[in-house]
Amino acid sequence: MSLLTYILGLPFLGALLVLMIPGNFKFIIRSVAQLVTAIPVLLAVWMFYNFNSAPGVEFKYDQMVSWIPSLGISYHVGVDGINLGLVLMATVVAFAAVCVSNEIKVREKEYYFLLLIMIGGIFGAFCCLDVFFLYFFHELALIPTFIMIGVWGRGMNRNYATFQITIYLTIGALIALFGLIAVYLQIPVGSRTFDLMGMTNYFRAHPIALNSQHFIFPLLLFGFGILVSLWPFHTWAPLGYGSAPTATAMLHAGVLKKFGLYMLLRIALPFLPDAAQSWLDIIAVLCLGNIVYCGFVAMRQKDLNLLIGNSSVAHMGFVFLGFASLSLIGVTGALIVMVAHGFLAALTFALSGYIYKQTDTLDMKEMGGLLRKLPFIGCAMIMAMMAGCGLPGFANFAGESLVLFGAYSNFPVMTAIAIWGALVIGAIYMLRGVRNVLHGPLSEKWNGVVDASSAWRRVPYILLIGFLLVFGFCPSLLTEKIKPSAQAVLNMAQRPVQPLLKKAPKHLPIRVK
Amino acid sequence: MIHVGLEHYLTVSILLFCLGLLGTITRRSLLVIYMSLELMLNAANLALVSFSRFNKSLDGQVMVFFIVTVAAAEVAVGLALIVALYRKRQTAHVEDLTTMKL
Amino acid sequence: MNDTKLAWMILFLPLLSAAAIALFTQKFRRLSIGISIASVVATFLMSVACFFQFHGVNVADSTVEWISIDSLSFEIGVHIDSLSLLMLLVVTGIGSLIHIYSSVYMKEDRAVSRYFASLSLFMFSMLGIVLSTNFLQMFIFWELVGVSSYLLIGFWYEREAAADACKKAFITNRIGDFGFLLGIIIIWSITQTLSFTKLQDLLHTSPWLLGGMATLSGVCIFGGAMGKSAQFPLHVWLPDAMEGPTPVSALIHAATMVAAGVYMLCRVFFIFTPDALHFIAYIGAITALLAALIAVQQNDIKRILAYSTLSQLGYMVMAVGVAAPGAAMFHLVTHAFFKAMLFLGAGSVIHALHHEQDIWKMGGLKEKMPVTFWTFLAGTMALCGVPFFSGFYSKDAILAAAWDNGWLFGIGIIAAVLTTFYMFRLVFVAFYGEARSESSDHAHESPKAMTVPLMILLVPSVIGGYIGISQMLAHFFVPHGGETGHEGSVFDPLAPFGHAPMAALLGFLAVLVGVAAAYTLYYKADEDPIPFKMRMLARMMRNRFYFDEIYAVFINYTHEGLAKFADFVDRWVIGGAVHQAHGSTESAGRALRIVQTGSLQTYTFLFAAGLAVVLYLVLIH
Repeated sequence: MSLLTYILGLPFLGALLVLMIPGNFKFIIRSVAQLVTAIPVLLAVWMFYNFNSAPGVEFKYDQMVSWIPSLGISYHVGVDGINLGLVLMATVVAFAAVCVSNEIKVREKEYYFLLLIMIGGIFGAFCCLDVFFLYFFHELALIPTFIMIGVWGRGMNRNYATFQITIYLTIGALIALFGLIAVYLQIPVGSRTFDLMGMTNYFRAHPIALNSQHFIFPLLLFGFGILVSLWPFHTWAPLGYGSAPTATAMLHAGVLKKFGLYMLLRIALPFLPDAAQSWLDIIAVLCLGNIVYCGFVAMRQKDLNLLIGNSSVAHMGFVFLGFASLSLIGVTGALIVMVAHGFLAALTFALSGYIYKQTDTLDMKEMGGLLRKLPFIGCAMIMAMMAGCGLPGFANFAGESLVLFGAYSNFPVMTAIAIWGALVIGAIYMLRGVRNVLHGPLSEKWNGVVDASSAWRRVPYILLIGFLLVFGFCPSLLTEKIKPSAQAVLNMAQRPVQPLLKKAPKHLPIRVK
Repeated sequence: MIHVGLEHYLTVSILLFCLGLLGTITRRSLLVIYMSLELMLNAANLALVSFSRFNKSLDGQVMVFFIVTVAAAEVAVGLALIVALYRKRQTAHVEDLTTMKL
Repeated sequence: MNDTKLAWMILFLPLLSAAAIALFTQKFRRLSIGISIASVVATFLMSVACFFQFHGVNVADSTVEWISIDSLSFEIGVHIDSLSLLMLLVVTGIGSLIHIYSSVYMKEDRAVSRYFASLSLFMFSMLGIVLSTNFLQMFIFWELVGVSSYLLIGFWYEREAAADACKKAFITNRIGDFGFLLGIIIIWSITQTLSFTKLQDLLHTSPWLLGGMATLSGVCIFGGAMGKSAQFPLHVWLPDAMEGPTPVSALIHAATMVAAGVYMLCRVFFIFTPDALHFIAYIGAITALLAALIAVQQNDIKRILAYSTLSQLGYMVMAVGVAAPGAAMFHLVTHAFFKAMLFLGAGSVIHALHHEQDIWKMGGLKEKMPVTFWTFLAGTMALCGVPFFSGFYSKDAILAAAWDNGWLFGIGIIAAVLTTFYMFRLVFVAFYGEARSESSDHAHESPKAMTVPLMILLVPSVIGGYIGISQMLAHFFVPHGGETGHEGSVFDPLAPFGHAPMAALLGFLAVLVGVAAAYTLYYKADEDPIPFKMRMLARMMRNRFYFDEIYAVFINYTHEGLAKFADFVDRWVIGGAVHQAHGSTESAGRALRIVQTGSLQTYTFLFAAGLAVVLYLVLIH
């Protein structure tokens, strides 16, 4: 059995165990959840450490069990350079999310059950190499997200936020599903498969007809784009994260959201290269919507969580810019941004969750001077904010600078604007957050605020900062592993554009039988 | 001696079904509605069995077994629900059970 | 001989110290101070060793690959030549003194460990800039310097002013960095290399390589220097940065960090085209003049020094702009010595007066604080360019280089007059006359750990002009085509008069005029006469020509405006569309609800009727 099966199976096993434990054994439930997320971290670190990107086998640690042969669906897990970092990031964030879940005081059994299901779904969504299961696990992780925001969420807007995030993400997933099925149907009956490797091999030999590509690509782009909060489909994200319980926001903003990007890179770019190339300009413009526009929105926020939420949307712009560059440098950078932002988003939401627990408010006008009371949390917050505005030493810098270097030759003006967004606008809203929350005189009413003093409480924060720093100091740990896989994707995506209508399309994009 | 053919069975089946339907629509007591439902189910069973008999195929009878099993399960659950409802509301009349309506 | 281990150790020792303090010794104040001071003194000693090791060796390079993809290769390394050796000595030397000084100045502070950790972090980043081998490494440490400066300015974060100042400093710097990074990317996209030496070789063999982008990239790169060296129009952050502890102002906002911009310009001097150099020269000149004018009407001792720093940085940048990087570096070095000394002297005064910074509340400190007074006076004279003090030689080198351009030379002379005027105003008001407040009445000399660094700094401030710095630099910049003011023998205090007599004489004259004016107006004065004589101008100067206000309005209309607009769109247009979708779904639901009567019989009837219709349609038709 592959290591990945253990990583993926443990949370589900944990969820089952939680179901069997009576609800009042809270400590045991917590311990089970902690254990089944801690082991995957160790496994993933071990796997990351031993991964060698030697050419030959495309996917390492893979395992394949056929499930429905007639439809070409199989359980297939494996990692290559593209999802290796994401899997590692997902396990770490999941562990941290369970660590900070001690803030939940009602219906703990149900909470941990849903949390573990969500975590299992997330692991599945990044470990699987079968498009059917990829989609299935993503949906499996989404449903607990909605429930958790609705039941354990906070704030006045909770219901509206739940409603919005549910509608948005469901629609996004639906459009993407439509696109995925359309891609699947491009393979003739008989050799149809959902397996990523099979699809890749098929489409490498038989490129999809041009007008089918032009039909399918927007479906995938906008379907997955909605899941990643591509501008202008982003309004669900800040609201949803603002109302979500800490762990949910960490997991969704940090990991699950990357699924859309991951699928764009795995499916849309390599399988639909011609359409992708004609959409690059539009993606580059939309990504500025994320970087600059959402940066501006973040500047105006009065609520800390909304600020963080908007900044997390803004960061997604760099990934899109990296994809749009369609160069090895840009795509590698985009993947690093994905990993780095996962750690970062989880960290910032964990910190804001801690502050909320202490102060019962996230209104930045009410706060101020909290650094005096919260030396540890405050320092972590400053580090997170600095990482967020691209300080060297944190992984985000490595990714963002690679993206900018990669994108310049294709989009000089967009890159210049993106640099402005990254360096100036990013700094403005991040520092505004620090200034309003941590700096300034301390108000009397926060005398009761206490810092995370025990070592155990600090673990999640230290872990997340640690990974940001490790990948920030040694980004080559990631780049060396990503490079060959990214190159493989780009080899397909950079194929010279097919001459228009070289051969008449054999069939309509979607065939109705 | 009258030869009893398929159409006779089917006529009985339709009659039974219509009786059941009428009962469902007009009666107010849940219990009676339930009985009418069973009547409709059995009308269908009758039709299936007769089709099976006259088409010399056992498929219809297999179907009937299914329906009988399901109906038994349904009765168990349904009756339990009705009893539970009656205990809670002291009534089993459908006019009184309108809490779902806004 | 070319072993660079020592240089690597110099680079990483301060980082180790910062990490050790931050992680382990937060609670042990004395230990933190000890670690930090030990690390910086060790780097200083290693720098000296390095200096002798590489003295005479032209260039030594050592790099490790950080990221490499395709044609892009990010490297971190150490680059040693006379420029970086000189800068190493200045940074670690002044750094050591200021660390020692801080150990007393900050002794009482609650968060002394945090202070020293940040200071060590700063040393690490600054040494990274000094030793960098390529553009990206410089940018990385550039950012790190920015963040350590942010942490140190905002050290007393509970004060509103400090909290605002650190934010402002960081953001203003980021605006400059925008240009810097863009310039770096432009250059990389054309040449596919980031390394200074490779670029220099490339541009040497094919000078037109950068083509139409040459000037633009040069100006963009200069943007970085504008931010860090606080050049007009990004100068507004430096005066506010004085909210940080005084030793920090001395080290970061006077001697080293703000000089990083000038250092960078000298390091990459080869990429600037004549047009770009023109731009640089005029920006420098404007800064020099503007800051000097503002300094005349400031009353806060640290702010006067801050504006004087600005003005001197303007000089250095102007020197780069007139193709005299050697003179710029020379002035950078001498300025680092005397400005650090002036700031430490000011810190000593502030310490003695219990954090009183208004010069009109001082007075008569000459007798009470003799060491501080004499060192401060020497620093002032060096800054003004009195002959035989170090500043005279470096300033003269710049004026001589600017001689060909009448405008720039004129601005240089006017700024020199103003410099002398405001510095002697400060000296006369703060140290002469009667004590004007209770705290200045009770002032007494600061402890040894604060006065000893002052006395040590006194030495290079005085003799820095003729100990061979300019010769070392002249040697370095000759192959680059840059020109320096001085050549010839090492010890020659009268060299400027022989080399460029007019420039030297005019400079000397400027000093005399400035001192005379300050003496007539301020010697034993109890209040400032200028506001009564020149109301309008004085008010403009005192309010710093309203730059902050203009920027506030500007930012209000641009970024804030855009932010408000974006927020509006988000809330009402995109949010509105979502609401619309939500609303239409809901109204459809309301309409359909009418059918739901709640009567079971109706449902059944409708169901049966529907079934009948369907059956009819299917079977009969």
